[in-house]
Amino acid sequence: MAHPSGTVIGRSVPRRDAPAKVTGAARYTDDLVVEGAWFGLTVRSTEPHARLLGIDRDPAFDWSRVVVVTAADIPGENVVHLIHDDQPALVADEIRHHAEAVALVAAPDPATARAARAAIHLRTEPLPPVLDLLAAEEAFARYEITKGDLEAGFAEADRIVDGTYRVGPQEHIYIEPQAMIAALEADGGITVTGSLQCPYYIHAALARALALPVDKVRVVQAETGGGFGGKEEYPSMLAVHAALLARAAGRPVRMTYDRHEDIVATTKRHPAVIHHRTGVAADGRLVAQEIDVVMDAGAYATLSPVVLSRGALHATGPYRCPNVRVRARAVMTNTVPAGAFRGFGAPQTEFAAEIHLARIAEALELPAAELRRRLAYREGDVTATGQVLRHSVAAIDVLERAEEVADFAAERAKTAHAREERYADTRRADAPARGMHPGAERIASGVGLALGWHGAGFTGSGEKTLGSVAGIELTADGRIVILTAQTEIGQGAATVLPQIAAEVLGVAAEAVEPAPLDTALVPNSGPTVASRTTMVVGGLVAEAAGKLRAEVEQRTQRPFAESWRDDAAAHGPTRIDVRFEGYPGIEWDQERYRGDAYPAYSWAAAVAWVDVDLDTGQVAVRRVVAVDEAGRVVNPMLAAGQVEGGTLQAVGYATIEEMQVVDGRYRNDRLATYLIPTALDAPAIEAHLVEAPFPHNPHGAKGLGELPMDVGAPAVIDAIHDAIGAWITELPATPARVLAALQALEEERLREPVNEGVS
Amino acid sequence: MTAPTSASQKLVTAPFRFTVNGQPVEAAVPGGRRLLDVLRLDLGLTGSKEGCGEGECGACSVLLDGEVVDSCLVPVCQVEGREVRTVEGLATGGRLDPLQAAIVEAGGVQCGICTPGMLMAGRAFLDSGNAGAAPTSAAPTDAAIREAIAGNLCRCTGYGRIVEAIRLAAEGRVSTMSAPDAMAVPLAGADRRLLDLGDPEAETPRTLAEAYALLADGGRRPLAGGTDALVERTAGVPGADRYLDLAALDALLGIRVLDGALILGAATTYAELRRDPLIAEHASVLAEMSAEVGAAQIQNRGTLGGNIATASPAGDSLPVLLALDAEIVVGGVRGERTLPAASFFPAYRRTALAADELILRIRIPLVPDRTVAFRKVGTRRAQAISVVVLAVAWRWQNGLWRDVRVALGSVAPTPIRARATEAALEGMPPTARVAAVAAATLAAEITPIDDVRSTAVYRRTVAGRILHRIVRDAAGW
Repeated sequence: MAHPSGTVIGRSVPRRDAPAKVTGAARYTDDLVVEGAWFGLTVRSTEPHARLLGIDRDPAFDWSRVVVVTAADIPGENVVHLIHDDQPALVADEIRHHAEAVALVAAPDPATARAARAAIHLRTEPLPPVLDLLAAEEAFARYEITKGDLEAGFAEADRIVDGTYRVGPQEHIYIEPQAMIAALEADGGITVTGSLQCPYYIHAALARALALPVDKVRVVQAETGGGFGGKEEYPSMLAVHAALLARAAGRPVRMTYDRHEDIVATTKRHPAVIHHRTGVAADGRLVAQEIDVVMDAGAYATLSPVVLSRGALHATGPYRCPNVRVRARAVMTNTVPAGAFRGFGAPQTEFAAEIHLARIAEALELPAAELRRRLAYREGDVTATGQVLRHSVAAIDVLERAEEVADFAAERAKTAHAREERYADTRRADAPARGMHPGAERIASGVGLALGWHGAGFTGSGEKTLGSVAGIELTADGRIVILTAQTEIGQGAATVLPQIAAEVLGVAAEAVEPAPLDTALVPNSGPTVASRTTMVVGGLVAEAAGKLRAEVEQRTQRPFAESWRDDAAAHGPTRIDVRFEGYPGIEWDQERYRGDAYPAYSWAAAVAWVDVDLDTGQVAVRRVVAVDEAGRVVNPMLAAGQVEGGTLQAVGYATIEEMQVVDGRYRNDRLATYLIPTALDAPAIEAHLVEAPFPHNPHGAKGLGELPMDVGAPAVIDAIHDAIGAWITELPATPARVLAALQALEEERLREPVNEGVS
Repeated sequence: MTAPTSASQKLVTAPFRFTVNGQPVEAAVPGGRRLLDVLRLDLGLTGSKEGCGEGECGACSVLLDGEVVDSCLVPVCQVEGREVRTVEGLATGGRLDPLQAAIVEAGGVQCGICTPGMLMAGRAFLDSGNAGAAPTSAAPTDAAIREAIAGNLCRCTGYGRIVEAIRLAAEGRVSTMSAPDAMAVPLAGADRRLLDLGDPEAETPRTLAEAYALLADGGRRPLAGGTDALVERTAGVPGADRYLDLAALDALLGIRVLDGALILGAATTYAELRRDPLIAEHASVLAEMSAEVGAAQIQNRGTLGGNIATASPAGDSLPVLLALDAEIVVGGVRGERTLPAASFFPAYRRTALAADELILRIRIPLVPDRTVAFRKVGTRRAQAISVVVLAVAWRWQNGLWRDVRVALGSVAPTPIRARATEAALEGMPPTARVAAVAAATLAAEITPIDDVRSTAVYRRTVAGRILHRIVRDAAGW
């Protein structure tokens, strides 16, 4: 049956993977049957910085039953290939962080593998560690973005607002821990199957570390139980480890991390300290923005240069200012490397930007929503890098929509009234006799708002350099298969990409299937990161589908939808591959950090309602209205699911997700100590999608996945401020931090004279 | 089962026999093997997932005789003769279970790794009679649904669509969906059968005498609900390599009133405390406390005796038992002894129990006109280990507080009675001034530490503030 255009995109086509996932039939890595596979484990460092003097094997253990791999056994280069190639697969001489991989063991059963691991002892000599990001001298990347004349801007300012903002590490807590299986092939090649986001990152890393030609390396994705960036770079490490063990054992090896190992050893969202100094004119214009961003990259570069770049490029917030200087650095410390996590540097800097803007509004005695309306980017505005925003600028749209849906002004009036009542209550003559806190209420309610933006796709010239290739094939047996390296990690890629092709082909979404995620079958369409799948790869899929349709219709002289099966039968398979060539008018100067930082931006506003327990400082987030604009929406149900899930991750980031770091070691190393929101903690989340289509791909979509992560935390912190009258400038707003702020306010108020007239 | 000829003889020997999704199965494995491993590795049923191995994420949830449990915390010795239901058994007759269909329709699946456990928790809720029944009775509340799945973490969806799916299933508003043919998973094809996982053996005595003899023999870790014992194993805490499974000891069961006291068997679960009418009548604070322990999976398995034996300073029930002047009856080869709860916890994670003794029951004297207030402060609203737990008991007498008990957890190496604070409240009217003095006394009296969950300063401050709040609420000013 033909599906005329406009009927497939925009429809909530059911997920392709849902039936298998609800019946238990979906096979995640650790579910796969691999006869004869051994079990691999990792021997890890227990110090943040040390010289490795030796790896001793307990002579009492029977080593004939196991294999052991150390750095000396690596056939290729001892690196996990990524950006700087500074991270070894296994420590050779210098331990640079806690829980760093030093040796590997594999055995026929888990008990023997554990015993072998326990029988390996590291001989080390401690070295002084660098643990404080502000004291760190070495940086993996530094950027400076300048616009206008900062000094002239400050000279013009009527007031200057300063602020320092801090964020801690955030752990991904994908519910499926990292897992990988490696198997040797008869031709000397290696195949790894695992839980992963970026098959071609792993492909390159394996070729490099195992010194194998690229055609002898195969990477297959198993069903993947969440990623959020956490399975962007780390699986390359795990794949190299599993492959080394498989090579040593001469048989397949499984490596499945338990939760403890997954938390202590894998990447986190970068901790950061962000300082803002802003010159403001009396009429509310920003005339100078001076921003310093320091991110803690940990012991190796991993993706920190690009995380920092995105953080720096979003650091101003989506606000007009003629004079800007952003200085950013990602520093080396002896902590576990930080890495990709949904939002990729932007949630940190946008949290700072939003809270700072709200504090500027407070200084100006203006409603922050009004200040945002005055300052937010509109079409034709110029960003800090000199990018002219030419299309689909929807900051005002999402802001106004959020205010309207939330009835924000009225809600704020209510909370302001309650706050005044509470305050007046503390001034009554009998207040001291009634106890130690201001007001009798147990709970203070607040409502907060934040605005954000997110550049879609790779930064700067990244997409052009990458030159992604995606394809579509009409097979000889009449199936329509799209060929991309885009992994389904829960976000819906396996449903949305076929939908885009189906729209172009004029067929039902169900008629198009994604190829199995196997580097032996699919071209390198780039990693599944940076909110690029639907926009960038979707564009390639649409283009390839258009070419396929034209070719088939040329041959059959009938509409594709009526003729593809006949064409396949008569003509055999047709495969079309297309390569990304760049979007028109997008130019980026990496040396000067000037130009079009992203081909498009998505826009979001969030309104959060919180209740703060005045006895304990506990924050309950009750409701969030999330308004997100990401171009044309391909699948409304899946898009709303991205917004809802991303919003809850942001709520967790804002409130309870605290990762303490002690001597470079993660202290909250279990799910009993690193807490993420349960269903009882989660607010009612209302996702609203606004559409400002991207003009440079056929389907008009921009990036969505990361967007909600940028605005959730500042909206919650703004709401806490609305409730209690204090700014929490460090994430997360733990009960201890909120209570400390409450106590400081109480002490201040208890010192104020009691107003005898009010009672 | 005959009496043991020597204490080291196994009393339940492998293979363990039970049913999975209606099919009889057997597993010739050590009795301490986790049900999750038996399902996934020995039986090849990989639908149940492992996300943490310590009962926090719920991805391994299955139904055990209809109750939702974390299969990572159930040793297979306790499954003998019982019915297990897993995600693979939900679809029947070529059709998806209505909850499966609802979760597909509502968009409650993203990565899918939490989905099997979420479905089992949802199914238990729908089957519990608390969810309403389609289409006539009232739909379950949002809060009831959220509580039912609070033991199942999802990192993708934000939960809203899962809650909606359970509501749709409860209301019977679900399309019929066929189950794809490939969904029938056989109990075969496992490549990891009978592996050495380092599991402890388990012994399941049928009588107290057998249990005492085995304990006296040494080297055994008693295990009731397993919610601490199996967590210790995942965490790599060195312990006994042999479990003494207490599940078959009827002497540890039951809730009754006898001689002016409430008698609770040591194996009483939190779920039982929440629903038992005698508890509601005589010590509703125990039900209130139990509702805040873990979530459904933990409440169905965890026991009062286990909480006492573990003696964690954060054990939620312990301050309540202290405030209620509970007595703990223990037994062993030398007979029974009764010890006051107030002297049962001598040091960090230590009890007054001798190595060869078991906790048999808890005795709570019934005191007329007693009021008990309980407050747990955790970092989140469910599945949270406490940062401060406070239980306060008193009797009203002419507007004054009498027989005041103030007990706390997580503020010292052991659960404690705050004696100075009790003295500050004893015989006093609950005025703001008395509350302020008591709060300040409490903050000074306790000795909390900085740890992974919170800070000493926070605990000190909050303990005082919640005590102040309890006094204020009781007095109504």
